[in-house]
Amino acid sequence: MKRLGLLISLTMVAALLAACATPTPEVIKETVKETVIVEGTPKVVEVEKVGTAAPEEKEPVFLRYADKAADLGTMDPHFAASTNDRNLVDMIFNGLVRYKPGDGSVFEPDLAEALPEPELMGDKQVWTFKLRRGVMCHPSEQVPSYELTAEDVVWSLLKSANPDTSAYAGEYNNMTFEAVDDYTVKITLDSPISKVLFYPKVADYAGGFIVCKKPYEAIGAETFKTQPSGTGPFMFDSYSPQEKVLLVANPDYFRGRPLLDGVDYRYMPELNSRELGLMSGELDVINGAAEGIWVERMSQEPGIRVDVYGVGEVATIHFDITVEPLDNPLVRQAIAYALDRDEFLALFGEPVSANVYSPVPAQFLAGGLTQKEVAELGLEYAYDLEKAKELMAEAGYADGFSLEMVSSERESYLKNYQSMQAQLAEIGIDIQINVTDHSSMHSLIREDVNPIVIYVAWRPNADVYLTRFYHSDSIVVTGAKPDTNFSHYAAIDDMIEAARIELDPDKQIQMWKDAQIKILEDMVSYPLQYQNQVTARRDYVDFGHELKSVLALYAQITENTRITK
Amino acid sequence: MLRYLATRLMLAIPTMLAVLTLVFFVVRVIPGDPATAALGDYASKEAVEAMRERMGLNDPLLVQYFRFLGEVLRGNLGTSMITGKPIGELVLQVLPYTLQLTLSSVLVGAILGVPIGIYTAVHRNSFIDYVGRVLSLAGLSVPAFYLGILIMLLFAIKFKLFPAVGGGDLDDLKDNLMHLALPSLTLGLIMTTSVTRLTRSAMLNVLSEHYVRTARAKGLEERKVIFRHALRAALVPIVSIIGIWAANLIADSVLTETVFARPGLGKMLVGAIMQRDYTALQSIMVIYTVFVVVINLITDLIYSAVDPRITH
Repeated sequence: MKRLGLLISLTMVAALLAACATPTPEVIKETVKETVIVEGTPKVVEVEKVGTAAPEEKEPVFLRYADKAADLGTMDPHFAASTNDRNLVDMIFNGLVRYKPGDGSVFEPDLAEALPEPELMGDKQVWTFKLRRGVMCHPSEQVPSYELTAEDVVWSLLKSANPDTSAYAGEYNNMTFEAVDDYTVKITLDSPISKVLFYPKVADYAGGFIVCKKPYEAIGAETFKTQPSGTGPFMFDSYSPQEKVLLVANPDYFRGRPLLDGVDYRYMPELNSRELGLMSGELDVINGAAEGIWVERMSQEPGIRVDVYGVGEVATIHFDITVEPLDNPLVRQAIAYALDRDEFLALFGEPVSANVYSPVPAQFLAGGLTQKEVAELGLEYAYDLEKAKELMAEAGYADGFSLEMVSSERESYLKNYQSMQAQLAEIGIDIQINVTDHSSMHSLIREDVNPIVIYVAWRPNADVYLTRFYHSDSIVVTGAKPDTNFSHYAAIDDMIEAARIELDPDKQIQMWKDAQIKILEDMVSYPLQYQNQVTARRDYVDFGHELKSVLALYAQITENTRITK
Repeated sequence: MLRYLATRLMLAIPTMLAVLTLVFFVVRVIPGDPATAALGDYASKEAVEAMRERMGLNDPLLVQYFRFLGEVLRGNLGTSMITGKPIGELVLQVLPYTLQLTLSSVLVGAILGVPIGIYTAVHRNSFIDYVGRVLSLAGLSVPAFYLGILIMLLFAIKFKLFPAVGGGDLDDLKDNLMHLALPSLTLGLIMTTSVTRLTRSAMLNVLSEHYVRTARAKGLEERKVIFRHALRAALVPIVSIIGIWAANLIADSVLTETVFARPGLGKMLVGAIMQRDYTALQSIMVIYTVFVVVINLITDLIYSAVDPRITH
């Protein structure tokens, strides 16, 4: 009996030791096929690899990101317009050049080896790009991975220039594209423009994203919206409607395999849900609320960091100068003096928001006017209620008047409209606001229903701001190319067009400033504030770059983003 | 019975046609269209016009209507105007989540509501009855999204018993059930309040009937009086309210789906409205109509089972 007990005990001890023992790694030899670049040509070779089988696989590390959108729109970068779509395409595609991660004021090479300098050939301007070698298009079900060449780039730019296949075709008018050889692309412009205006057209933004030709043609435009294929650090894996898009790391990314294994991009329109998901540890990064109070509160939560960064979307009040009584400059000036920018600012709070003093935000773009500059010119329109009342009386509206307008239900709009309503009541202007959904508002204001339009937007450079909001071609309804000139302003067309073709950057900047000085003198629009982007994350998330400004309007997830826990 | 079923199902066709026609024309009255919603405010006018042309939005309204009608009659729900994916595929991906949430919420509501209603009716004017009535009134006053957030704070954040957000993996039963628990509790509790009140009211009506008094006078066990005689007679309105809730939950669960970040038909419908995805909106309404018709039919069939006086 005792012997049996001893035997059983010894057996149990042996079993325990066996279970705890570190297994000797098994040596594994295998022959694998790899794609290598030999003298610029991709070749498939067989390589013997010797390794050891790990006792257990490492759990893949996916960054769980919650966006405020309800669902995906499209992942075709040439149609991606909403913020959440722009976020995704930013991770999947590259441009010939890119905005430096985390700093949208700096350009650096992306698919191109270097930032090109323009050449003048006759009256045309030529930009020549040398492509990096070995950039691989993501593999898909229909098309295996292959090397991106000039053919793909030219094809993609032609796609961007075609209104049937791109929402940004207008940016590529009067441009031709040529594949000189497999790694050289030449872009010729009929009218020369500065680097400030050209680089955004070929950057990793809007029409500048480069789409690989073969996968697109294999599956067609409609399917490509939800099965994209690019060259970026992350590849599309799957899409669950209303739930998420799963991206996986691109092991062949030309900047090196991403530190993350993938991104779990989730759709959560309810802020409370995102917050609670972050606090419970089910999410790593979330879209936050553009409110100083929210930033302060979340910053105090243990283990959570809040990032506030640009680019800031600019809120501007536009006056329709063709309708009474706004057609009277004295009335418009009265309104400007009756409005207190700081009161608008308080609605959102610092650091989320800051005042702007010109239609082009000086904080983010060249060509904007600072507070000091407008004050020196006497165009700050600093709050002065008495002066506002005097101007109203001088204009013959001492008793005020009534206006009716529509607003979006979104807070970035509604708060501004409501504040304007309250402030202008002080000088007898009675404003009735009809609140509608965001899409309806955009449609209605483009039908010219509002005498005053508050618009929140980001545009990539001063020329786009001025052209879309202040050139006569862009006048809503009646313009040659109706856009967002809600003011019906037509006084600075020549100034905008002259600035566009100016090649000296300093002169160009001054010309943009001059155009905005005229806008302020005529008080066609009243710039309010910009609203920054706000992201909250767990403290173990490292984006891999400093966050100053990102044109894709999110914290930007790159190959260097990692989870440090 | 079969004739009745066939007649009811045939009647569903004109119902669906009426709903489809109404939705088709009403949604086009709303400002905006799928092209402007899809391309955003930065797109050029040429691009918007090109998109409208591709979407067939420039065709005469009647042409668009009959084109869509023809597709539906062929069993084709069309493709999303925004993502280009087949509506049928999109619906099949989210439908399991909606059905799960609806069924589980109805179960919670019925399992909790009926017994509580019976108890409060039988113990009328007792302390438990007063507490039950106050709680059911409070429950009716609390919005679903608010209750959902409170439940999330308590069970997911404070006690970390369940995940806070997400629909879970349909292929993983445990994960799926864990993600279902809090949303179904939210909707189930709100449904419980309605079911409790109606059950109580129905039972009180029945308990005062002569035949119930006779049954007691004959010395029948109280349990048998309540469950065999009273409840049986009170079941018709209870089945009604449960049926109505089941039909409503399929659509009304959108707020709960949003709070808990679950996929669902309700969210899909709201998303289609916001994005002006006409095809998705029309097709989802057709599906809703089918659901409501089927649920109403099942409810009517249950009436017959519960009350033999009702025949079809």
